[in-house]
Amino acid sequence: MEDIKGIKGITDIADIKIVHPRPSSIVASLYTLRDMKIDVAILHGPPGCSFKHARLLEEDGIHVLTSAMDENDFVFGGLDKLKFTIEKAIELFSPKSIAIVGTCTSMIIGEELSEAVSDYEDKASFICVEIHAGYANNTDGVIAVLEPAVKSGLLSEDEFSRQKEILQKATAVEIKAGAASQEYLAPSRGDIKYKVAERLIQLLRENKKGVLILNAKKETAYMFADEIVATYEIAKKLGVSENISVLSNTDVNLGLPRVREHAENIEKGYKEAGVVVDDIIGGLDEYGVTGKTVLNLMKTKYADSDFVLIAGVPHAIPPEAFENMEIFSITNGPRQVLPLKEIGHDHVIVEIDLHPKTLGVDKIIPSEFGDNLRSVFSDSL
Amino acid sequence: MVQKIIAIYGKGGIGKSSTASNVAAACAESGYKVMIIGCDPKSDSSITLLGGKRIPTVLDTLREKKNIKKEDVVFEGFGGVLCTEVGGPEPGVGCAGRGIIVAIETLKKIYPEFMDNDLIIYDVPGDVVCGGFVAPIKKGFVNEVYVLTSGEYMPLYAANNICRGFSKIGMKLGGVICNSRNAFLERELAEEFANKIGSKLIGYIPKDPIVQNCERDGFSVLENAPDSEIAEIYRKLAKEIMENSDSVNPTPLSDDELRNLSKKYAADE
Ligand SMILES: Nc1ncnc2c1ncn2[C@@H]1O[C@H](COP(=O)(O)OP(=O)(O)OP(=O)(O)O)[C@@H](O)[C@H]1O
Ligand SMILES: [Mg+2]
Repeated sequence: MEDIKGIKGITDIADIKIVHPRPSSIVASLYTLRDMKIDVAILHGPPGCSFKHARLLEEDGIHVLTSAMDENDFVFGGLDKLKFTIEKAIELFSPKSIAIVGTCTSMIIGEELSEAVSDYEDKASFICVEIHAGYANNTDGVIAVLEPAVKSGLLSEDEFSRQKEILQKATAVEIKAGAASQEYLAPSRGDIKYKVAERLIQLLRENKKGVLILNAKKETAYMFADEIVATYEIAKKLGVSENISVLSNTDVNLGLPRVREHAENIEKGYKEAGVVVDDIIGGLDEYGVTGKTVLNLMKTKYADSDFVLIAGVPHAIPPEAFENMEIFSITNGPRQVLPLKEIGHDHVIVEIDLHPKTLGVDKIIPSEFGDNLRSVFSDSL
Repeated sequence: MVQKIIAIYGKGGIGKSSTASNVAAACAESGYKVMIIGCDPKSDSSITLLGGKRIPTVLDTLREKKNIKKEDVVFEGFGGVLCTEVGGPEPGVGCAGRGIIVAIETLKKIYPEFMDNDLIIYDVPGDVVCGGFVAPIKKGFVNEVYVLTSGEYMPLYAANNICRGFSKIGMKLGGVICNSRNAFLERELAEEFANKIGSKLIGYIPKDPIVQNCERDGFSVLENAPDSEIAEIYRKLAKEIMENSDSVNPTPLSDDELRNLSKKYAADE
């Protein structure tokens, strides 16, 4: 196995002693269930577990309930409470599909999730996800959903192996230049947006050639695409849109059902805004594997570009792709700023709290940097 | 052929591990493919099948390496018995129960063919103390459990209690094994207890110093004293278990019933 980050003997993310909190694998399970369009997820655990995300996910079409285990249930087991919650879910939502999701508590005390389900199997289809938050890779939470999904026929073997591969690559990206790349990463708000906007508009005015790349993770694309749209619209107004090329990971034929829908919605948004996509570089779940494609395109078709703007997961694309170009990158991770600067990105912008705003959304929505571009441009007229 | 995946439960120190390893050895002797999975942090279930040597445990190995393989934790012992020790934390730290869950899940992953064995024995420590200790049943495909007791009151009390647990989770009891402590009318008492809970006495093992002598040398009775009477007893028990086809949902006794039963067989002062 290849050593990670050139540190001898480090071949796994778990070997890096990271001390900043990172995404939870329980939450990763919840998001995956949503992507599979499961109707209700019941967390078997304490009432506060995954609270914030549970709340957000409800905006996005999946009901999230909790069995609300307390100290007594830790001691005596909480399957009765879980059964009660299942009954409540059936009563409230008449769901077709219900997922039971483990938590640290229920998994440590050895709760058998499938046991609670057996009484209700005639009322809904169930999937039991044995997960807790003690994994170094939060992507293990995705696998924990997909594995039983394959067993129960909800997911094909082919899609499962595809998912496993892209998850591995996504993790590798995080270790290489992402949130898992250093033992501690201080959060940062990135560069000042209107100044970066001024610079970008200046380049457009100077007739420079540029490539706009959307390489976003699933629903976050609803906001990241706005940065592409805003830049493109300004280029059009300046009459220089032929200088601009657009690459986008919005293949509508790839990914879990919900992810494909997102891609279709984004494509529709591009059309409405008059944005012409030159190259589709993958699906919305392929942000971790698009690096090679982009590298090839940049080295051949777009080798003479002056600048590049990457929105979404900019650190997934090898910096060699952009030699001698001015790099603008937009991320939603405050801990991502430092590593991006380190690999040579000139301007790094953070869309703070982007993710919550992209839940429950079905079209491209305004971004802070996009709005900055628009107002800086109209002020300059 | 019927495939047996069994677990042996009973009061702490009653003789579960020595019975498990001797039965495993006896079954292997008569040609069965046998595996023993020790679920005790003290890792003493298979030691007498391995000439007294300790093997690396699943949980210790998991701690050190991620790519754990079957060869790291499954070892061949006397008569070809496959031996695995789950291992676990030192007394007083961590969570041994969670350890059993993790180890069984790991075994299923690294040795998916483990179900091909004719007999798999899970040797579980002491009483059933938390969720993890029934992991062999819930996650390890156990299809029959056995309860070990002597004729003394506390082992019987523990056995009865364990049966209450089984009846709650719907686990089938294959039978009661009496491991003698030389109590008065012990076999009769154990037999009546077994019948009263709806099961049967499937074996009676007398107390014999050979068991401990062999154990001290690091061997099973079957290996070190194959011609002894006690070896023959383990062979008979092994045969009974392999041929056993009537396991039941046990009906535990009330405290009073158990006390009265025990009194009935009490030796006169
Ligand atoms: N039939 C027997 N005759 C003589 N000694 C025996 C007999 N059965 C068991 N022993 C001895 O009793 C002691 C305890 O047995 P063992 O370790 O098998 O009990 P256990 O139920 O597995 O204990 P634990 O609950 O701690 O795991 C051992 O020294 C063992 O050799
Ligand atoms: Mg023991």
